[in-house]
Order: sequence, then structure tokens, then C-alpha cells
Amino acid sequence: MYTLHYAPDNASLIIRLVLDGAGIPYRTALVDRAARQHHSPAYRALNPTGLIPTLETPAGPISETGAILLWLSDTHHLGPAPADPDRPVFLKWLFFLSNTAHADLRQIFYPHQYAPADGHAAHLEIMSTRMLRHFALLEAAALQHPKLFAAGRPLGVYTIVLTRWSALYPETAPRWLDLSDFPVLEELARAQEARVETPVVARAEGLGAHPFTRPEQPNPPEGSVL
Amino acid sequence: MTLTLHHAPDFASTIVRFALEELELPHTLAIVDIDGGALASPEYRRVNPVGLIPALETDDGPMFETGAILLWLVDRTGRLGPGPQDPGRGAFLSWLFFTSNALHQAALAMFYPHRPAGEANSAAAQAAAQEQIVARLGLIEAMLAAQSPRWLSPDHPGVLGYYIGVLVRWLIMLPPAPYGIRLADFPYLQAVLAAHEARPAALRVAASDGLGPTPFTNPGS
Repeated sequence: MYTLHYAPDNASLIIRLVLDGAGIPYRTALVDRAARQHHSPAYRALNPTGLIPTLETPAGPISETGAILLWLSDTHHLGPAPADPDRPVFLKWLFFLSNTAHADLRQIFYPHQYAPADGHAAHLEIMSTRMLRHFALLEAAALQHPKLFAAGRPLGVYTIVLTRWSALYPETAPRWLDLSDFPVLEELARAQEARVETPVVARAEGLGAHPFTRPEQPNPPEGSVL
Repeated sequence: MTLTLHHAPDFASTIVRFALEELELPHTLAIVDIDGGALASPEYRRVNPVGLIPALETDDGPMFETGAILLWLVDRTGRLGPGPQDPGRGAFLSWLFFTSNALHQAALAMFYPHRPAGEANSAAAQAAAQEQIVARLGLIEAMLAAQSPRWLSPDHPGVLGYYIGVLVRWLIMLPPAPYGIRLADFPYLQAVLAAHEARPAALRVAASDGLGPTPFTNPGS
């Protein structure tokens, strides 16, 4: 059985929704970020980057959200197989989500890693403008490839979780994402919320009653978001 | 399989070119006039709506994203990396995505330091990128020392060797002083890249793209 090393409302949420959406059994192992457990030797032995998530599998630990999604997709047939004519679409948007949309959004979460304090406002303005361009590209891709971007599936879940965090962060700045500007993604948020696994995961991680259509700050029953 | 690579020498498309040559896959090069604004043209945006290089046109439609193209080539040919059934697949994917979203992204921040927070904060962005680049190459080096994986090895060519090789090339050549890297600080990686750049396929690409005889370990020579 798989073990998902997770922290509430961290990128592990993306994996959790896909696993539960497909009915794949797994255990969770809480990584207590408040105790800096992700920097512990035991966690670093599983994932030397110290990032969350890590998925332990019979073939060893896998890190990186995109890598885990792709491995699960190929192992459990959640997306197009290597010879499928839709494979190029699947792969290019998965990498785009990982190295462009998710990477840019991380910069918004952790501005101090990228700019001095007096540059944070400029940084947010630049990065949020970039993110809105990324969401426009994802909106067009989801419209063109609705099956690949369906709720519960890797690309759909990855995209919609990124919209949740975009609506919530930075906590201290005015909201820069209005999901109603992206009707396809807004419908995806509704569809993801209507799935049976979503309220179960939302309760476990303290995400509130409407984690995607009306996101609010998480209030996890265990563990720490930061 | 009909393949057209949208290419500019010594841009990220060169990474894909190394893989195509190593696989001996016939392909056409469509040279992109980057300085002439070709990436913003409606024709190019139909191939790659993100407007970046590379793009690869295939019988199953256009692809973009370097990592995605490399992985698609591995899976279609069964070469240059572990396939979905291989026990090494999970680790290979982890490090391929890491290279794409962490090492490659930090390299871009070094080369285009105004991007994160504007010109006024370029110096700070470059200093942050330098620290990230050294730390991330250090993680790759430690992984090589501990695991000697077949998919990033001096003994077997692989897409990840070519991907990291081109990034290292740029990280040696492009950063302004005092930034940049010394490949000798990463001896396991150096051995992997030396083996890759010496392969006949790599020599063909280096000659064609004008990258010099040792494009990864001693670029600019």
C-alpha cells in the first residue's frame, strides 16, 4: 500500500484528491511542518529536497507533485497511456502546471526567497500578472480538452488546487484572482466540489465547506500548513 | 513518425536536439528567429500558446515543454530513460521534474533576474538564484553519489544527462561575476556530462549548433 507524506493544504492535497478520486487505497503520514519535520534526516532520506509531498510506493519513494501524478496515472490508468494520441497534450500541460504555474505560485507564497522586503509589492504585482496569464492558458486548454481536465483527474485537480491557493495568498494583500473571470475553471471548481471525496478530504485538512468555489483560510484539525 | 523541432541554436531546443540525434530519429528543424519576434507570431502561438522554445510537432499534434518532450521520446522509443514498467521510473520522474521546475527555473532567474520583481530587485534575485542553483546541483550530486542510477550515468546515455548538461553549460558560461558554478565541485555530475558530450550524437549536435568540442564540461573552449 502507498504512504502519502502530507501536510494540510500543501501540495500533497493534489495527490490526495487524485488518489481518493480514483479509489486507490493509501495511508497518510503527517509531516509536522511546525516541528520542521520536513527537514528531519528521516524525511530527507525519503525526499532530499525536503518538499511535500512524497509518495512511498513498492518501487521506492517518489517526490515532486508532477512526477507522482504521472507515475500514478501510468500505474492506475488515470490518463492517456504512452502510445495514446492524447499523450502529448497530457504531458505538456502537466509540465506547464509543474514548472511554470506551480513554480510561479510558490514565489507568491515565499517572496522572501526571491526579493528583498521592500521589493515584495513589485514582486507580487509581476507574479500575479504572470499567474493570470497562466490561468488564461489553462482555461483555453481545459475548454479544448475537457476529459483531460476533468474533476478528479490529474490535470483537473492540479489546476483547481492552484486556483484555491491563488485566491488565498498572500493573506495580507487584496485578492488578485477572481475565478469568475475563468468560466471553465469555475465550472471545474464546482465539479470538483461535487465529488464525494472532496468533503472528506476537506474535513481531514480543514479546508472549509467550499474549498474551491469559496476558499477560506485552512483550519486543520492536525498538522500545520506552514 | 514525422517530427519537426522548432529550434534556435543553444536555446532549450538544443536539449531536445541532443535526444533526437541520440535516438537517430529523422526530424526537420524549423529555425525560429527569436530576435525577429517569431515566438510572438500567431503561427507560432498555434504550435505553442506559451510562446517559448522548444516546440516539437508530432503526428499526434504539437508538444511543448522540454521535460514533456523528452519524456514522450523516452516512452515512444523505450530508450534514454526508464519506461512506465521499470522499477527506476519513479525516481527518474522525480528528478526529471526537479530538473524542470527547480534547477531550470533557478537558471532562468539567474539569466533573467528582472523577471521575479523588476529591474530594481535584479541584484537580489540573482543572489537568490545563485544560492538555489548551487544547492540544487548539490542535491543531484548527492543522489548520484548515493545511488548511481542507470538513468543519469556515465555508462548509459539518457535524456536527463543531456538536459542537465545544457543547463550546466549555461550556468558555467552566462552568469556575471561573481556568480556561476565550478563543475569540478560536482565530480559525479561532471563524469556523467563528460560521457554524454563525448558521444557521437552529441558531437554532431555540438558541431551543427556551434557549441564547441566540450559543450557541457568546458563550454566556450
